[in-house]
Amino acid sequence: MKNRTSIYTYITATVILAFFSSACTKLDPETFSEIVEETIVYKESDTSAIIAQAYSPLRPVMADWMGYFDLQEESADAIITPARPNGWYDGGTYQRMHRHTWTSLQEQPASLWSRVYTGVVNTNRAIWLIDSGTLPVGDAKGSLLAELHALRAFYYYLLCDNFGNIPLVTDYKDLAVPKQSKRKEVYDFIVKELSDNIPSLRETAGTAMYARFNKWAAKTLLARMYLNAQEYSGATAWEQCLQQCNDVIQSGAYMLEPVYRDNFKTNNENSRELIFTVPYDEINAPGFIIHMKTLDPLSQQVFRMEAQPWGGNCAVPQFIDTYDPDDTRLKDTWLQGPQLTPGGVEVIDYIKYVESIEKSKSNEGFRVGKYEIRQGAKGSLSNDFPIFRYAEVLMMKAECLLRTGKAAEAAIEVTKVRQRAFTATPAKATVTGADLLEGSVYNYGYWNNGQVTEVQGGADVQYGRLLDELGWEFAAEAHRRQDLIRFGVFTVKKWFQHRPNGEGRKLFFIPQEEINKNGNLEQNP
Amino acid sequence: MRSFYVRAALFIIPWLFVSASLLGQGISVSGKVTDAREGLPLPGVSISVAGAANGTVTDVAGQYKLTVPADKILVFKFTGMKTLEVPVNGRTVIDIQMESAEVGLNEVVVVGYGTQRKGDVTSAIASVKSENFVKGAVRDAAQLIQGKVAGLTVSTPSGNPTANTQISLRGITTLKAGTAPLVLIDGIPGTLNTVAPEDIESIDVLKDGSAAAIYGTRGTNGVILITTKKLRGDMRPTLQYDAYASVQTIARRPEFLTGDDYRRLIGEGIAFTDYGASTDWIKEITRNPVSHTHNLTFQGGSSSTHVTASLNYRNWQGLFLHSDNKQVTGRADVNHTMLDGMLKANLNVITRSRTYWSGVDIGDGGFANGNSFNNYVYRQALIRNPTDSVKNYRGDWLERNIYFYDNPVAYLNESYGQNEERETRLNGSITLEPLKDLKFKLLLSNNKWTEIRGYAETKKHVSTVKNNRNGYASRGTSDMRDNLLEFTTEYTHSLQKHRFNVLGGYSYQDNTREDFYMRNWDFPTDQYSYNNMEAGNALKRGDAVMGSFKDKWKLIGFFGRLSYNWDDKYLVLASVRHEGSTKFGRNYKWGTFPAVSLGWRVSRESFMEGLTWLDDLKLRAGFGITGTIPDDRYASLQSFNYNNRFLVNGVWVQGLDAVRNPNAELRWEKKEEFNIGLDFSLLSGRISGNIDAYRRLTKDALFDYQVPVPPYPLPQIVANAAQIRNQGIEVLLNVVPVSTKQLQWNSGFNYSTNKNVLVSLSSNTFAATNDFFDAGYTGEPIQEATHRVQVGQPIGNFYGYKSIGIDDNGRWIIEGKDGKPVASADKSPDDKKVLGNGLPKHYLGWNNSVRYKNFDLNVTMRGAFGFQVLNFQRLFYENPKVTQYNMLKTAFDNVYGKTRLNDDLAYVSYYIENGDYWKIDNVTLGYNFNVKRIKYIQQARLYVAALNLATITGYKGIDPEVNRSGLAPGDDERDKYPTTRTFTVGVHLTF
Repeated sequence: MKNRTSIYTYITATVILAFFSSACTKLDPETFSEIVEETIVYKESDTSAIIAQAYSPLRPVMADWMGYFDLQEESADAIITPARPNGWYDGGTYQRMHRHTWTSLQEQPASLWSRVYTGVVNTNRAIWLIDSGTLPVGDAKGSLLAELHALRAFYYYLLCDNFGNIPLVTDYKDLAVPKQSKRKEVYDFIVKELSDNIPSLRETAGTAMYARFNKWAAKTLLARMYLNAQEYSGATAWEQCLQQCNDVIQSGAYMLEPVYRDNFKTNNENSRELIFTVPYDEINAPGFIIHMKTLDPLSQQVFRMEAQPWGGNCAVPQFIDTYDPDDTRLKDTWLQGPQLTPGGVEVIDYIKYVESIEKSKSNEGFRVGKYEIRQGAKGSLSNDFPIFRYAEVLMMKAECLLRTGKAAEAAIEVTKVRQRAFTATPAKATVTGADLLEGSVYNYGYWNNGQVTEVQGGADVQYGRLLDELGWEFAAEAHRRQDLIRFGVFTVKKWFQHRPNGEGRKLFFIPQEEINKNGNLEQNP
Repeated sequence: MRSFYVRAALFIIPWLFVSASLLGQGISVSGKVTDAREGLPLPGVSISVAGAANGTVTDVAGQYKLTVPADKILVFKFTGMKTLEVPVNGRTVIDIQMESAEVGLNEVVVVGYGTQRKGDVTSAIASVKSENFVKGAVRDAAQLIQGKVAGLTVSTPSGNPTANTQISLRGITTLKAGTAPLVLIDGIPGTLNTVAPEDIESIDVLKDGSAAAIYGTRGTNGVILITTKKLRGDMRPTLQYDAYASVQTIARRPEFLTGDDYRRLIGEGIAFTDYGASTDWIKEITRNPVSHTHNLTFQGGSSSTHVTASLNYRNWQGLFLHSDNKQVTGRADVNHTMLDGMLKANLNVITRSRTYWSGVDIGDGGFANGNSFNNYVYRQALIRNPTDSVKNYRGDWLERNIYFYDNPVAYLNESYGQNEERETRLNGSITLEPLKDLKFKLLLSNNKWTEIRGYAETKKHVSTVKNNRNGYASRGTSDMRDNLLEFTTEYTHSLQKHRFNVLGGYSYQDNTREDFYMRNWDFPTDQYSYNNMEAGNALKRGDAVMGSFKDKWKLIGFFGRLSYNWDDKYLVLASVRHEGSTKFGRNYKWGTFPAVSLGWRVSRESFMEGLTWLDDLKLRAGFGITGTIPDDRYASLQSFNYNNRFLVNGVWVQGLDAVRNPNAELRWEKKEEFNIGLDFSLLSGRISGNIDAYRRLTKDALFDYQVPVPPYPLPQIVANAAQIRNQGIEVLLNVVPVSTKQLQWNSGFNYSTNKNVLVSLSSNTFAATNDFFDAGYTGEPIQEATHRVQVGQPIGNFYGYKSIGIDDNGRWIIEGKDGKPVASADKSPDDKKVLGNGLPKHYLGWNNSVRYKNFDLNVTMRGAFGFQVLNFQRLFYENPKVTQYNMLKTAFDNVYGKTRLNDDLAYVSYYIENGDYWKIDNVTLGYNFNVKRIKYIQQARLYVAALNLATITGYKGIDPEVNRSGLAPGDDERDKYPTTRTFTVGVHLTF
């Protein structure tokens, strides 16, 4: 019996030992298709990947579904998304955008908030990796850090412009729930960040720094901050803005492209006018879907596209009426009239008329045609979305001059920009200082079945002519909301089926879901 | 080798002495064992001597012979029969008649890691034997027991021949984790279709926490234990052949407008377009499906080696053209006993392959798992203009340039896909019984599952005709490997009135998945289909994509169980499992899942002795904690992936992006369950049943919490914080109203009810941003959530606008938040309210089996009551405003008896209907031929069966038995593969 007991003891002991040996109780996860943070050893060659993750959130921010483009254009007076026979009611979201009746649940502002803050977090991560030495970058450390600070300033500029009072987070490792800053503090922060870092930024333009913040892109951003300083901080900063514009102009790094459309074509990365863009690629970097939203499904046959477009937004007829018929930007910006297949068959005729925001036929309204749609286009375009063009620097300069009593000097800059739009009628390109002191030609008023009722007009808009110039030059470039605010139109005028809905609409509400997540956030008034 | 024999001898020799002394002076006893009901000999009955190790089994003629001490008791055991204990009393011939043990307390119930006598069970376990299974064209194991187990609802919401049933047990216990029960096939994890339904002997369901807790983190959704057919004892080799053929019809056809209806309505001024033809689009894409199934089972062996081998072939057609499912399952099970029964070895091989046509491009993520039905085709057939033609005058498919509007017949016939799955399961176990009551068991299993997919669209498909792709194809393959090792030690001991059993074990499981897929288009020809992927140009251009992934998890558990029985009167069962998983966060690698249950056989008490009408009465009570593991393998980890590209110095560089918000605290969901029950049997088993009441509380339920960015890199984190409570009652009642030699009628009722409430969405660490979240989605163009899950409310609530009327212009009138009518144009989200609930409050089943002479008739009926269904087909197709697409005939009926609808598509309560139904689900009529005179045939049976035969309901859609899983139960999706009615003819032969 003793012998047997010892055998069982032996067996049992072996078995128990086997169980408790680490091999049988080890539970460290094994990963194959993802990289666990602790295992990453950063090398200098990883720098591109870290830079890329800081910039790439700009793609969903700008030209993607419910992106910045929609937010800036559909709340303004040039572009609407009316209900169509195939839909586009979508719970009234586009109509609320148009009528300024959005709530804190509106999707477009919520998208902007979350997408931009993703950019902030990623940029903070890049700054932390480089600053802490975790990612060794050698001599480039100073310029890279300056660049990332400028990029982060751009993200904060978007938040400052749209939401005003927002949390400023600068430390990737700070896990505290962020506190909210006032718009003025945000403005001061951005201006200081840019001013501090501009000296360390690279001055190179062209491929090496394409779509990245070099000194001139940062200066253009700073100029835009100063341009809107009244709105952001309560005090104007025209001289400071002018200074930044002059620096960019004097650098000689950029020029006006002789052909306007070259700034928006499929391969627009070669444009010498583009100071800062968000680069897209139909394969590598999708997300440019402006053509999908604007084109009617039938336009698929015109461009022999690999995807069927959705048929949504179009131009406000009143805005189209502001154009000089000889202004080539009218055709360069808006798809209009009969649309022919490569074989010459008409498939649809885009007309200027749009019945109402609640009801429209599929061919009503001119479509956004500014961005070249190449034959065989896909669901996403390869055109890069322009953020800062040299033309804008000239126009900012003109505005500063105009607003500081130098109308004649301003007119010189505006004329430069207009010249390529009137190549057949060059005399029309020239504007005078007196012209710029005129009001707007936009026939503001409420649209009722093709009639402008409750007419307000635009004659009373101070420097309204310059606002019109900005409209023609930068239509469908996500500028309009900011310009309308600066010229005092956004919360005052009626257009299409929009009526003003109070001063508070200059800012979007902080998305309710963000307030729910962060008890420190206070809603905008 | 020599040392092995020495060790073996060391085990055996002491026992030879023991056995010899016990045998003492024996006499030779022989006899014949027969079936009491039919008088047929019973082969394979095990006969043992009480208190001794020796025994034998009956031969083919039911004969046995053994040597036994004259004063001992013989124990006769046979599956499905009442065990008999017969004192020898010096007799040399003992003939035995065994009775069926339908309510027998000695019936064996399969429990976690072992079996129990039914009389000893102290928790809620349901056991269904093969003779009570649903007959006919059964798709998987769960359908066999559909309507048979109180509290286990099995539904068949899809008519796709590749689809499985849907199972839910005792309410919804989770918001985010999986809801599939743990399915064990002879102890090894598998799925409901791992083995052919024809190859299953019994199915046991562990319903409550005290029974399932031994399975730890896999126990919450219940455990389904499938026991395959096995041979026990010595027996003449038999060969069984089963075959059946089925036809199907749609359960109910949705009535859409015909071409003539269009023309009549155009005459009335409705803006339809008349293309001149009349096409029944549904007819163009459907057929009358014919399916057949064959099963061959061989069983045989000697006293020490038993073999069961089966081959199952099914070739099923679906209602939609091309839709099918072909499956071959082979299984071989070999048992060998050696060293005088001290060592038992089992080897089991299951190999399964299934092939089916697929109209779906699986692409990203992989794992088609039966996904073959392209609902887009069905939708296009429903909405296509019935005056249009399938082809134009040139014989080409006729297409129209309308948004999301394609010729369904072209779509179906110009795409071709085939998915093939192959599964091989190898497993074996060795059981060593060195002492009579001590058992060591080592079980090893290796399962491999592979799927290969191919899909192609020709140049006549809209992908080319409209989208200029010039031919399209995709290919993919997935692979899964699962290894299992389990070692258990079991010791049973009886001492006077005490009987106890102790079990301890260790379990290791790992699971690895891999997947690869690719797409390509722009092919020079259609002839390659998906078999020459490199021929396309899109991949070379960089247009097309490829993808792959691999992941792995491990699960390790230690478990123990103690059961104690005092005089068959007081029963205790306690178990615990300590389990860890790689899926859990760093700070919570291991969890402990205890359970205890008690039983009291009241009928064994002396004060009950006078009650002769009472066979058995048992009270049970149990408590157990089980877990649910997160689905995501790596939800706790902080990871990065090279993902979104950005242009750096002219090169598209992939950024290193965060994959998720890590959660080091991530762990199992924890469900605590109390169960009390009562088992009874009266009048010699003529009335029997059980009643169970339970209360289950899920703590630490997983939820996607919204978190601010920054500081978090991403806006969501998976965390354990919510709480859900379910409570309910289950009743099972079996009655034998008539039992004579000629006529036997068994009738079974079951009823269950469950009440569910979301207790909380927040914990101290994670607070939900709202006390609700929305679930379910109407889809375009309505784009609204259908359900709201709210704290204090049951899961499954429909949430939307309550329509109360229609104005003269045909626009909805909504009940506003203050109860006053609101015009539909003025409604606001505040006006939304709870409109019903998609989960039935009551389930009822009534099963009858009648045997008269050689005929048998089985009727299974079941119903669900107290719930609502959102009829998507009405929601989308009962609106006369959008004349671009076809619609239901009822679209032109007056709404609320007032006027025709003239409003945009909207999700309002008008489309929510009561779903109550009573189904005559399975009717089987069989005839057993008298084959006594035929030498080679032992049994021959012919039967006809109908499945889903008739539904009594007020519901207007195809079938009120709709999807009940997930958080949006009761949504009768408009594109759902319609359910069918199946008629079957089958034979069963035993040689």
